[in-house]
Amino acid sequence: MRFLIVDDSSTMRRIIINTLTKLGYESFLEAGNGREGLDRLGAGQIDLVITDWNMPEMNGIDFVRNLRSTPHGKSVPVLMVTTNAANADVAEALKAGVNNYVVKPFTADTLKEKINAVASQA
Amino acid sequence: MIPATASLVDVLVGATTDVFETMIFRQLQARETTWGHAARPKSQMVGSVGFAGSSTGLVAFHLSTAAAREITTAMLGIEIDEEGLADAVGEVTNMIAGAFRTRMAAFQDAWAISVPTVTVGSDFYIKPISTGDRVIVGFTMDAHELFVELIITPDAEAAV
Repeated sequence: MRFLIVDDSSTMRRIIINTLTKLGYESFLEAGNGREGLDRLGAGQIDLVITDWNMPEMNGIDFVRNLRSTPHGKSVPVLMVTTNAANADVAEALKAGVNNYVVKPFTADTLKEKINAVASQA
Repeated sequence: MIPATASLVDVLVGATTDVFETMIFRQLQARETTWGHAARPKSQMVGSVGFAGSSTGLVAFHLSTAAAREITTAMLGIEIDEEGLADAVGEVTNMIAGAFRTRMAAFQDAWAISVPTVTVGSDFYIKPISTGDRVIVGFTMDAHELFVELIITPDAEAAV
């Protein structure tokens, strides 16, 4: 499974990659904001997108809306990893096209559970 | 409705210890709480995240460079350069502020929060320009002292 990880924080990208590596995954692409994330879509098959919400240039919500309008991104599972955890936030993210949601701080078990959930929907 | 001030500190301490236990794999011991504008925590790096909504203000995370290195190594499993250190402090601050915001959303409308900024230096302090409350909570992580600062104005008045 190949992941696209979109987060402006190199620290959070590293944490997510470390966690995914511990879970047995090996293939990752990285992007520093939503615009870069859209550019990375042309780099080959992406099986699952993990994106932050609050990012400069293009935030995670706008990224997912744009992603859903592309042929490659229409059906790719999207997991949002963010500190925005209020009910209104979750509703907005789901409306934009996010499949599932992980609230920071998170454990490896939580990330695994959510990945399995969105992958099984694909 | 915003909780009483003592509860506000409990919420802040809970958010901070949760981030450290879950993402950094370190236990924090909460120490003294200082109210008002006289406190000047000693630190070399300060991460800050602003918030706005039914309350406005700022969450700031103060620590030494040595503490930042230890936190980053614990969190990432590797040692990183100066730029990476600032990014890591920003992300920890973002998670503390985000966890605080999430807990506070149980009492009132959810706030919007800013992306984090990190200031590196030692001879400065954050001066609010409003009449909002200011509290600094001290923590220890092994031999390191850490401080989490909250400036909050429970209305639409600008806090910083």
